[in-house]
Amino acid sequence: MTTFSVGRRVTSFALLIAGIALLVFALVLDFLGLKFYIDLGNGNLDIRGAILVVGIILAIVGIYLFPTLKYHRTIVYGLFLFPLLATFLVTVIIPLFFGIGYSFTDWDGIRVRNVVGLENYVRMFRQPGFLWSILITFLFVFFNVILVNLIGFLLALLCTTKIKALGFFRASYFLPNLIGGIVLGYIWKFIFTSVLTNMLATKSMLSETPTAIAAIVIVYIWQYGGYIMLIYITGLTGVPADTLEAASIDGANPWQTLTKIKIPMIAPTITICTFLTLTSAFKQFDVNLAMTNGSGSIADFMGAYITNGTEMLALNIYSTAISQNQYALSQAKAVLFFIILAVVSIIQVRTSNKKEVTL
Amino acid sequence: MKKKLLSVLLATAMVSSLVACGVSAGDESASAGGDASASTATTETAASGDAIVLLNGKPEINEQLQALAAAYTAESGQAVEIQTVGGSNSATASDTLKKDYQAGTMPDIFVAEANQFANWEGMLADMSDQEWTKNTELEYVNGDGTVGFPYMVEAWGIAYNADVLDAAGVDPSTLTSPAGYKAAFETLEAKKDELGLTAVVSYGANAAELGWSTGTHMFGQYLDAGLAAGADSKWFDLLQDGGKIDADRMTQFAEFIDLLQQHSNQTIATTGNYDQEVALFAQGKAAFITQGSWFGANLTSSADYSGFKCGIAPFAFADGIDTICGGATSYWAVYSDGNVDAAKAFLQWCSEETAQKSFVNDCGFVSPFNTVSDVPSDPFAAAVNTYKANGKLSPMHTFEKKDGLQNDTSVVFEDFANGKLDVAGFVETISKVCEAYYAQ
Repeated sequence: MTTFSVGRRVTSFALLIAGIALLVFALVLDFLGLKFYIDLGNGNLDIRGAILVVGIILAIVGIYLFPTLKYHRTIVYGLFLFPLLATFLVTVIIPLFFGIGYSFTDWDGIRVRNVVGLENYVRMFRQPGFLWSILITFLFVFFNVILVNLIGFLLALLCTTKIKALGFFRASYFLPNLIGGIVLGYIWKFIFTSVLTNMLATKSMLSETPTAIAAIVIVYIWQYGGYIMLIYITGLTGVPADTLEAASIDGANPWQTLTKIKIPMIAPTITICTFLTLTSAFKQFDVNLAMTNGSGSIADFMGAYITNGTEMLALNIYSTAISQNQYALSQAKAVLFFIILAVVSIIQVRTSNKKEVTL
Repeated sequence: MKKKLLSVLLATAMVSSLVACGVSAGDESASAGGDASASTATTETAASGDAIVLLNGKPEINEQLQALAAAYTAESGQAVEIQTVGGSNSATASDTLKKDYQAGTMPDIFVAEANQFANWEGMLADMSDQEWTKNTELEYVNGDGTVGFPYMVEAWGIAYNADVLDAAGVDPSTLTSPAGYKAAFETLEAKKDELGLTAVVSYGANAAELGWSTGTHMFGQYLDAGLAAGADSKWFDLLQDGGKIDADRMTQFAEFIDLLQQHSNQTIATTGNYDQEVALFAQGKAAFITQGSWFGANLTSSADYSGFKCGIAPFAFADGIDTICGGATSYWAVYSDGNVDAAKAFLQWCSEETAQKSFVNDCGFVSPFNTVSDVPSDPFAAAVNTYKANGKLSPMHTFEKKDGLQNDTSVVFEDFANGKLDVAGFVETISKVCEAYYAQ
């Protein structure tokens, strides 16, 4: 077993201690809102950031030179993971906890004046408009998950048959998914308010709340159906040809082939697709914003006159923050949104996984 | 050995990139902080002292402001840096400010609207000692003192096509009562074909498209129409006190809206957008439009506009309303932790003749100051200036109501236009909506 020279040990510990000391110094300066200047002759330069970086580098070198053979590899792996972990921490974990923290305050986007405890959570459930948003979001998700999957699956069946111009159909069904939601929303808004009203001489679908929600569902299916179709096509082409051949020799008709062979064999694909549509329908924002911006009236809901008849959860969170300037309340709604999404996703994946095992 | 060399090289590359990142980050924070004179190297002008930074929320006047800043630098030696953000509304400017505040890079002067001052309570410099306050009545004053420097005036009532009214023999000065409007509308309705009109009024109440027009501007008429310049509004005080609505005044207001709806294009009223509303008026197919002075720019840039004369009439839903609502809709505020003295000196200079001439002639703003007599070429500027000079500009408390109320009230306007509500229903629903909004 190799022993480490005294020099190596001393360097390692010295670098480590110096690095951590600089790091802590820079962070303390930052938390206290102080700056650290050096005189360059032509003015002062703030080197607080530089101290932090030098501290990190010294600490990294110190850890790398740490006198151990047993854990050397682990340390090296850790060092290589460090940039990724640090980025993940800074961009995901810290904001998540900051966000949860803000939801217990009266944060207005600029500063926190008071900690208000659960007040924001109590307030949001007292808003009939917000409860309405939750309700229609669930309705929207319910219709979408069913319709998008059904239509996507039917299109996939169509696009795996031997019809002519197959590539063209596949491409054209998929194309709407490549158009951004905002553009798509404005195109369909034009169709609903100008084209259809002129052609059919009826009122615009967007002028009544229930039909406006239906219109958003239609646009969403149009946007998302092609994408789901593509995944189903992959699943359907993965069904082994010999199984299908055996079925046809046994005299199975197309319907039996579909229900007894194809659908069971693509169960994992169905899981993926329902999961995708479920979460993306919950997060519906851009089409909603572009088409109705959430407006629409419901004469009586829980004794209140609802004016955000077509506003789904994500848009409600956005407008609470941006147009009502209630950042903390909006943050509390976002935390609830996060919890709902997490719970729904977990339940969905769990149940689907069980089904796959039994099949 | 080769492997070791490679790993050393890789490690050096990683470390040096880290160092490079760190150094540039350090520089940035130094220059953005504005305290270090190292930052002067990055500004273009070789002026003495640090540049003061002005955050502008109107991209359409960016170039004019840059020119103004250069002129000020040439005159005083103080560098001014103009940062422009935003598009159609200043929500993006307020977002930028929130970010700047967190990052510690606040501009010295920034754009703010009336309802945004509360966010910055205790953080703005009081400018009540400044010379310019004597030359205007439109500055923004709150508990912190005079905190808003007005730089433009906008006003709204009901805009009309003066040529059409003239041809029909309607005198705009009679438009100060519901009866006057009713008579004028009926005259125009009778001569529609002769005058080439398809609707008398161009009015849009689609909440998703024109919610800002109905929910903010027209609702503002209920709050302030008829009041003297700078007066307090008891209807605004009522609203702020739990969202209460004066049923009598609101009924008169609703009856007037109903009158407008009877004489407007039904399709545009219920589903139209701003462009359609403007186009109808610009083509000369409507004699009135429920917009204000800002719409002059859209009108003159419209290919349909033939150059007819325009004016603004009061939103006279009750007898004796002879004022239009107006004032500074956007202000500049000075951040108290910034370079306050230099910022105040710049704003003082902005209120004086040279700068005001540029605001009027280059930016097309009606001046909030009495230091210049110039009037922009805009079709509505002369009308706004006349109302202002005669003290007939009512205040605009609508911008100080609770944030976001317009999203809710505009839906009620749309339901009214759709025929889902009658006058009584409108009054009842709008009271309900306002109370609910203030309660939540």
